[in-house]
Amino acid sequence: MRDLLRHPTGLAGAILLAVVLLAALFGSFLAPHDPQLFHPATRLQGPSASFWLGTDQFGRDLFSRILNGARTTVAFGVSATLLGVGFGAMIGITAGVVGGWIDSLIMRLVDGLLAVPDLLFTLLIVTVLGGGAGHALLAVAVAFTPGMARISRSAVLSVRTREFVQAAVARGESRAYIIGAEVLPNALGPLIVEATIRVSFAIMLGATLGFLGLGAQPPSTEWGLMIAEARQYMFRNPWCVAAPGAAIAIAALGFNLFGDALRDLIDPRGRR
Amino acid sequence: MSAAPNIAQGSGREAAPAVLEVRGYSLAYETPAGLFHALKDINLAVRHGRTLGLVGESGSGKTSLAWAILRYLAGNAREGAGQLLISGEDLRTKTPAQIRDIRGRRIGMVFQDPSTSLNPTLTLGQQLAEVLVRHRGLSEKEARDQGEALLARTGISRPADMMGRYPHQASGGEKQRVVIATAFACNPECIIFDEPTTALDVITARQIQDLFVKLQDETGVAALYISHDLALVSRIAHDLAVIHRGTIVEQGPAQQVFSAPRDDYSRRLIAAVPRPTHRLVHNVPAATGEPLLRLDKATIRYGESTLVERLLGRRQSEVVGARDVTLTARKGEILGIVGESGSGKSTIARAIAGLNAFDGTVKLGDRSFGSREALDRAYRRRVQIIFQNPDGSLNPRQRIRTILSRPLKLYGLVPEGGLDARVAELLEQVLLPKDFALRYPHQLSGGEKQRVAIARAFASEPDVVLCDEVTSSLDVSVQAAIARLLVDLQARTGSTCLFITHDINLVRQLAHRILVMYRGECVDVFDVDQCDAPDRHPYTRSLLDAVPAPAGG
Amino acid sequence: MNAGYLARRLLSVLVVLWIVSATVFGITQILPGNAAVMILGEYATPDQLKALELQLGLDRPWWAQYLSWIQGILSGDWGISMRLSVPVSALIAEAFWRSLALAAAALVAVTLIAIPMGVVAAMKRGTWGDLVISLFAYLGTCVPEFVTATILLVFLAAPERQFFPAGGYTPPGESLPGFLYHMVLPALTLCLILTAHIARQVRSEMSDVLASDYIRAARLKGLSEFTVIRRHALRNAMAPAVAVISLDIGYLLGGIIVVEEVFAWPGLGRLMIYALQNRDLPVIQATTLVLAGVYALSNLISDIVIAALDPRVRYA
Repeated sequence: MRDLLRHPTGLAGAILLAVVLLAALFGSFLAPHDPQLFHPATRLQGPSASFWLGTDQFGRDLFSRILNGARTTVAFGVSATLLGVGFGAMIGITAGVVGGWIDSLIMRLVDGLLAVPDLLFTLLIVTVLGGGAGHALLAVAVAFTPGMARISRSAVLSVRTREFVQAAVARGESRAYIIGAEVLPNALGPLIVEATIRVSFAIMLGATLGFLGLGAQPPSTEWGLMIAEARQYMFRNPWCVAAPGAAIAIAALGFNLFGDALRDLIDPRGRR
Repeated sequence: MSAAPNIAQGSGREAAPAVLEVRGYSLAYETPAGLFHALKDINLAVRHGRTLGLVGESGSGKTSLAWAILRYLAGNAREGAGQLLISGEDLRTKTPAQIRDIRGRRIGMVFQDPSTSLNPTLTLGQQLAEVLVRHRGLSEKEARDQGEALLARTGISRPADMMGRYPHQASGGEKQRVVIATAFACNPECIIFDEPTTALDVITARQIQDLFVKLQDETGVAALYISHDLALVSRIAHDLAVIHRGTIVEQGPAQQVFSAPRDDYSRRLIAAVPRPTHRLVHNVPAATGEPLLRLDKATIRYGESTLVERLLGRRQSEVVGARDVTLTARKGEILGIVGESGSGKSTIARAIAGLNAFDGTVKLGDRSFGSREALDRAYRRRVQIIFQNPDGSLNPRQRIRTILSRPLKLYGLVPEGGLDARVAELLEQVLLPKDFALRYPHQLSGGEKQRVAIARAFASEPDVVLCDEVTSSLDVSVQAAIARLLVDLQARTGSTCLFITHDINLVRQLAHRILVMYRGECVDVFDVDQCDAPDRHPYTRSLLDAVPAPAGG
Repeated sequence: MNAGYLARRLLSVLVVLWIVSATVFGITQILPGNAAVMILGEYATPDQLKALELQLGLDRPWWAQYLSWIQGILSGDWGISMRLSVPVSALIAEAFWRSLALAAAALVAVTLIAIPMGVVAAMKRGTWGDLVISLFAYLGTCVPEFVTATILLVFLAAPERQFFPAGGYTPPGESLPGFLYHMVLPALTLCLILTAHIARQVRSEMSDVLASDYIRAARLKGLSEFTVIRRHALRNAMAPAVAVISLDIGYLLGGIIVVEEVFAWPGLGRLMIYALQNRDLPVIQATTLVLAGVYALSNLISDIVIAALDPRVRYA
């Protein structure tokens, strides 16, 4: 951890991440205003002493809304990623461990699914399931599954050829022991890195779905939805699109930088 | 087999002025932990027509010196006092443009691994010709013709053909010849050779060494030959310098340093050089009775054919790793297995260890096994394998205690309460302190890790231990200690040992019998004292000739 | 490069397309809420559903439906749009060229900007220039397309200083300058995001190449830095860069959906969003298949380019 903070990318990521997590955990207590309260007299205002980031088309306080939305956004990103990583890792590890024609078959399928761009895939699934935050989450998770399957499989395969695993095989260890005690603990590093970076993609995908009206629904304080709702008024008060936009970027950047720094620490090749 | 004479040609006149001279040179690297002094007050001189061998273990600073001479230093390098002179001109005072004119024209360089030092996307000819275009102002066409002549001189039989090939289409030896031809192309005053044969197979390495001696003699180039291999350098260099932790501890005529070292460290280094005459094993296993281990007509194939290939009825990606190999080993015997990389020597060990599927049979004592699946846990307890790379063979996430107690638990050899005591005993056996049990592998040095791997193999009290190149990733002095430890343990436990290595002199030191592999087949088996017998296979002959026993001692 | 390599790659593209078609078919037909429900909405009466199912042939077994669907796709009969009552193939053909123009403009611009940027960043590692490029690259990867698009709109298309139109489309046949004028903002959005990503990848590939033994060897031959970069480094860094660009076409295709929606550019992406919002099944299937097909094809092209750049692949 100390190494991570000494790494410039890691430090920047950790700071951003701390801000975002703080907002996610305590945002609703810290918010100076009720995020849903209309202030009709002060619509579409720029930043001021009472409204730090200005107000939206209904006079709601943007700063409070963003603090409030942090929890939704982070929870969405993290849980969609966890689900996707879970599904993907299960499939990928199974393929990597079993090998043979089952592996070939699974990986062919995964390759086919990877040929559909993430967003396109997500949109398709949302269409089938219907919109809404819950379905959007599931859609992002499913869209992540093939990519994670491929990555976990290659992580497993790269560990499997290492000599300490060969030594366990030669010793006559059971398959369960080899996978549980020798392969998985060593394959976990790259998976954690990839998952951390993917949280930032999940956050962006979630926001995009919200923006397109296929994710969170009003009056949610989800950041993408905030931008979509304020779009008509963006020329009158740019803050109502800029503030949530910046919030998305900060959250995504935090996870991305942190993940990159983790990767550098795990992979000594990056430590040149 | 007699000791190898020095084959360095010509003598050069002692009085000739130094072509390359290093005077009082020091170099340090800035690291987060402070300054690391890589070179301390180095003094060297290489004269026209002479070869100076610079010998040291990894991290000794020998390669740093080469980079310093070529003015190719890392950003965190901090130079101290001293001069680097080429024919009397100090390289440290040259501008970058002047240095570029010197590199390749006045100072050439040959690198360790030709497969990484050649650009994969340019033909060998393009890479050779470009120095001629750069330094001798030849046209592309002239450079190509000249390049062919240069290649012919390095013993390449069809130079024009070779010029048009890409690196991946040439063998390691051919590539290294191209690199050497490039270094000699502009008739430089001095050439630096950085471990030029370490990445090559034994016989190819010998050919490259002979080529080096011939070209050095023909051109009279002053050569700085950097290597970790004392025996080799003492054979091809006129002078020898031993470097240890950034300091030159001893320097003088090669024969003299090698046969009568004055410094402590060089004495230790020279003592560690494997000599066939210094046998490490003295017992002789009983020659009677059934062999303990027997491999009968084993064939091992590599590579699964893909689904598509199988559908098309082809199995093209399959490679035969070993074909119809039969071997036997008696109880208490050390059977050495030698051969070049890809000869199938490791393949056999992996098959016996149950890591490769095989056709044929494996017999251990009175039990016989016809496939990998038949090898049960009882068999696996009795047969243990030790790998080449100690970094890879220990799980980085487990403590040494966990690693060593695993076989004890798996085979139920020790009751739960006695684990710690037995682990301590195992560590003691391989001469490691018992508090190492609480460490993780990354806290250990390479040699220490290899000792742990050895302890793990002997933990199950095996009847057969397979040693797959166990010393080859280690430094010379560590190698000798590990070899001695293994032989000790083997003698004490009376186990049978298959010792796989490419180091001919080492295997002659410790094996009772030697088996020679060539392209997946066993071509020769003989008692170690029969090395010079007239009925040796021609391949065995050339293998033995490629690595003459070191002189002196 | 031999014909066998090409044939193998072509075969794998076909396999991928087949899997995609099965997936698209599966998602839209087999999963809960079949086509009839999707069209009529969840409040339709069972009788209505029954009638529509018969009309669509949904009473047949799934494999028969799939076969006839595939047959239609292969023979150019992509069905009739349920909402617009126009042949899907006509809709797609029209939208396809518009999207292609946009994507091509963005891709060409990106290639011209991002590759030199990445190369320079790698050569000047650790300097301010490198830092700025890296920061820009990070920002680019972490700002979703719709945010970039919205911000560009605020700055460049606000009513009081309208440098560019806020959206819409003019056919090139009508007015070429108008067509290009409308294309600037959407292309710029795609460009910003892709440039960031590709520059970062090229930087890391180039850094690896510059740290390699053969670059060191080339420098120690006394070659000038210019020759080392041009002759030895670029070619080796380009093969992986092409691979990255071809993967990024995936991003581009995702991005184009959002960007076309924001800027009202009537291409495949907008058509698809329209179809998704209106549950226009044949159009959804066709747009997805076309986008995936383009992606697979671009991967194939990049493989061929890589083979041309790297003799190890060429002679494999």
